[in-house]
Amino acid sequence: MSFDVLFNQFMSGIARGALLFLVASGLSLTFGVLRVLNFAHGSIYMLGAFITYSIWKHLLIPVVGFYIATILASLIMAGIGLIIEFFLLRRLYSRGWPEQLLATYAIILIITDIVKWGWGGEFLSIPRPKPFTGAVFLFGFPFPSYNFFIILLGLALVVFLWWLVYRTRLGDIIRAAASDREMVSALGIPIPWLFTWIFVLGSLIAGLSGAVSAPFGAIRLGMDIEIIVECFAVVVIGGMGSLPGTLLGSFIVGQVYSFGIMYKPELALAFIFIVMAIVLIIRPWGIFGRPER
Amino acid sequence: METNQIEGKGSLVQKGWWLALLIIVAVVTPFIISEFYLTILGEALIMSLLALSFNLLFGYMGQLSFGQAAFYGLSGYTVAMLMTKVHFNFWLSLLAGIVMASILGLVIGYFCVRLRGIYFSILTLAFGQLLFFVIYKWHDFTGGDDGIQGVFPPGVLKSPINYYFFILVVFIFASFIFWRIVNSPFGYTLKSMRDNPERTEFLGINIARYQLIAFVIAAAYAGLAGALWAPFYRSMAPSSLMWIKSGEPVMAAILGGPSLFFGPILGMFIMTFFHAWVLGFTIFWAVVMGALILIIIFFLPGGILGFAEEKFKERRERNKQEIANFRSQIAD
Repeated sequence: MSFDVLFNQFMSGIARGALLFLVASGLSLTFGVLRVLNFAHGSIYMLGAFITYSIWKHLLIPVVGFYIATILASLIMAGIGLIIEFFLLRRLYSRGWPEQLLATYAIILIITDIVKWGWGGEFLSIPRPKPFTGAVFLFGFPFPSYNFFIILLGLALVVFLWWLVYRTRLGDIIRAAASDREMVSALGIPIPWLFTWIFVLGSLIAGLSGAVSAPFGAIRLGMDIEIIVECFAVVVIGGMGSLPGTLLGSFIVGQVYSFGIMYKPELALAFIFIVMAIVLIIRPWGIFGRPER
Repeated sequence: METNQIEGKGSLVQKGWWLALLIIVAVVTPFIISEFYLTILGEALIMSLLALSFNLLFGYMGQLSFGQAAFYGLSGYTVAMLMTKVHFNFWLSLLAGIVMASILGLVIGYFCVRLRGIYFSILTLAFGQLLFFVIYKWHDFTGGDDGIQGVFPPGVLKSPINYYFFILVVFIFASFIFWRIVNSPFGYTLKSMRDNPERTEFLGINIARYQLIAFVIAAAYAGLAGALWAPFYRSMAPSSLMWIKSGEPVMAAILGGPSLFFGPILGMFIMTFFHAWVLGFTIFWAVVMGALILIIIFFLPGGILGFAEEKFKERRERNKQEIANFRSQIAD
């Protein structure tokens, strides 16, 4: 196997990992603070992609149309997240996790049908937006420049989340709430308000990643469960609720997927689950996670 | 924790009269209803076995599996492929399906039983989706998204009503065995692991081993459901392994009440008939199902049977209270 093939797989694995990080970071953030595993996170991602497509199609603005559609779709998904949290999840925090899981599963079913009803079952696609239509050369090898856009966006999100969680007052509250919710509440910080905004932020990130994934592959039904299962692998490998864990998990899953597809396309997913199973057996709470109390 | 207890040994015997009534209804109904509803009734019975399989893990052992469709689908595919490709004997095919599901249960269970709570759900979901992708992508062997058609049961079982009675007999027998299992010392050990894993471990019980045994039994029950399904529906499709299928028993158990033996069965019956009815006027059944789940979670915590039992208990308590009051008045 020559170097350029390996390097090519590596780079496409990085791009894949960056997209996974975009989606999984929202999932992990929500879980870390709310302690609710949002099954419907992938559905918000899918709905974001479809809404981006529709806005992009109606705008018909040549260069910036896609970017405007991306921003609008992300905001719409944030609004939908607000509705979900405020009317549904908020009432379930005191209940057991099986009921929370089932409630988010119900949201998956509802969003699936909304997409089916609104867009039909076809495959849709958006061409790569300017200036990311061409290829860039790295060490003399060509790569789609849109992949670099995804990677840059992923890095930007890493920096933003790091700044948010470790450098702001809100971040102090987030970390405190993740470790002792009651104590934070006793200090006079309105926990329901915090939960709402974290869920909205998670939905915004999911919508954004759905939007930018649109020119990356096809927009279609079923992309929700595909991404959510891979994101579960990411957060389980890295450790749920941990930012560095999600980053490492995304990198590992992206690489395993990319090299797995080169080796045997049908089994790419199997390799991911094998890695996940190994991590779960050695360290059930993930590489950067902490054991549940 | 009396409210959390699964129905005791005595209650099934006490309720013998209404069990007999249910069986009579199940025997008489197929002669009254149309063939369409007969099919739905058969489906409800088969899916109830899947719901029981799920509830052995959830209601009794306290672990939520989101991958029961893997065992159901693998068994169904085993039966369908043995019967159509190598024209294997019908009965031996059914047995082979259940054995395959149990072996898969042993393999997946080996990894899953080390985990608790949400991690258990994620890993079962992941394994389930993995098997789905393998069967979906392996077109040469499994037929991919075309599935497998033409799985016909032999001779006398070809007629829908006869196959229905076959399902009914298997169902009654299987649920009787299930009832014996959950009321055996083994079943009580599962419940103690659910209520207090630490204490159970201190008693010298190997939790992982007991959970693995329960996992394999549950896989066998899901396998039984899949094995009955393939010749009943005369085909297998990869969608039978999908996560949506795994979600059905979860919904059924929570709808009917996971803490009661008949809860998941009642839930599955309601869901199957509701599904058939909704499909009659709209293809968007998923949104209706989603709304139904939310309604149950918000308004009927504990499921329908759980809710009914609570009300029943409340009334009994109130009656007791009234009698006590009356007695104390007389005493005064």
